[in-house]
Amino acid sequence: MKFKFAIYVILVASFLMLGIPLSAHHGTGVAYEVDKLVTIKGTVVDWLWSNPHCGLLFDATDEKGNLVHWGAELGNPHQMSGAGFGKDSFKPGDKITATGHPAKSGAPRMTLDHVVLADGRMLSGKGVKGNGEHDDSSY
Amino acid sequence: MGKHFAKSFGLLASVLALCSLGFAQTYGTKGYAPGAWKPEELPPELSKPKPFNTHDLSGVWSMPTKGFEKHSLTSKPLALEHVPAEMKQTSVPPPMTAWGKARLDETKVSYGPRSVPPGTGNDPVSTCDPLGYPRDLWEANLRPFEFVVASDRVLQHMQYHDVWRTIWIDGRALPKDPDPAWYGYSIGKWEGDTLVIDSIGYDDRTWLDHFGNPHSDQMRLQERWRRVDPDTLEVTMTLTDPKAYTEPWVSDKITFVRAKAAIFEEICAPSEENRFNDRVRDAAVGKSKP
Repeated sequence: MKFKFAIYVILVASFLMLGIPLSAHHGTGVAYEVDKLVTIKGTVVDWLWSNPHCGLLFDATDEKGNLVHWGAELGNPHQMSGAGFGKDSFKPGDKITATGHPAKSGAPRMTLDHVVLADGRMLSGKGVKGNGEHDDSSY
Repeated sequence: MGKHFAKSFGLLASVLALCSLGFAQTYGTKGYAPGAWKPEELPPELSKPKPFNTHDLSGVWSMPTKGFEKHSLTSKPLALEHVPAEMKQTSVPPPMTAWGKARLDETKVSYGPRSVPPGTGNDPVSTCDPLGYPRDLWEANLRPFEFVVASDRVLQHMQYHDVWRTIWIDGRALPKDPDPAWYGYSIGKWEGDTLVIDSIGYDDRTWLDHFGNPHSDQMRLQERWRRVDPDTLEVTMTLTDPKAYTEPWVSDKITFVRAKAAIFEEICAPSEENRFNDRVRDAAVGKSKP
């Protein structure tokens, strides 16, 4: 009986833990490694300030010296603006260091956790609820 | 000994009583300022609840939640057949009809245990289609909505897509045979402090929530809104849809608090979403090359 209860508790806890990252963006938990982070240094190619998702495209060189076209997805402009991002946050040629959850497919895509700009400023979309409000979840 | 015990007990009880009184005064007194106005120096009226108009729902409201944690009528919105056996839920949502189950099975969702990779699902939200109601209300997890109260109607202004839902409070009845509408047709009346909103005429292409729970064009929704204090609204709703569910689906009590920010434009633009998919997301799920 106790054993069964313990299993139930573990199952519930696992489900809840699974539910947190899944609830962040549409399909994030299916497409991205939500428990893994990668950090890529690159040069901005384009910045999509668009609804309902923003996107940051940047080029980086891999360990073999190949040019890789990276892309990162972010939330809505209203969430991102609450976190300090803006339509002019990035311009082509900017040097950045982006950290995010990589795509499960192995493609050079990530859902952004935070980005460090050339001047050392860090921008993070974590905990942004929208309209300037915040929570402490993993959104 | 007995006398001493009684004395000590009495003393302890008095100290505890004083402490609790002090606590209530210190932290429950509005306008108290450490090192300046002590609670007993302030007029007691300051701490009394201010009268407010219970029929004035106007203002901007959001859910005091984390992420999208409250995204359906009830906090356990998953259909039983899609939940692992160990996680069997009770009561919610109500059992679906064969039609309801078939509609649910057609959905390819982006949230919960049935999630498919982004870009491969059929959630109407992914093509910027209207969210419909009540699904649009769950957006208040992330973005507020606004009530604007006029003499003949209450307008519910949803930030996402800048939607204005009209609730007629001028005494008219619901239309007899309306054309389907994304946000249905709504009438409201006051029962004491509760605004009771009845709605019909919904377009069945919308989902009830991002888990894909369906509804039909037969859905009737009753919402009971109450302003419980100046800065808090509560709603409970009952969804009746015999084509999709074998019983009514009664919601949890859902709380909204006054938002700090104003509503602003937030339109899901299909061309922008397509560009985002083309350039970022399709590559993530192997639909195109980076």
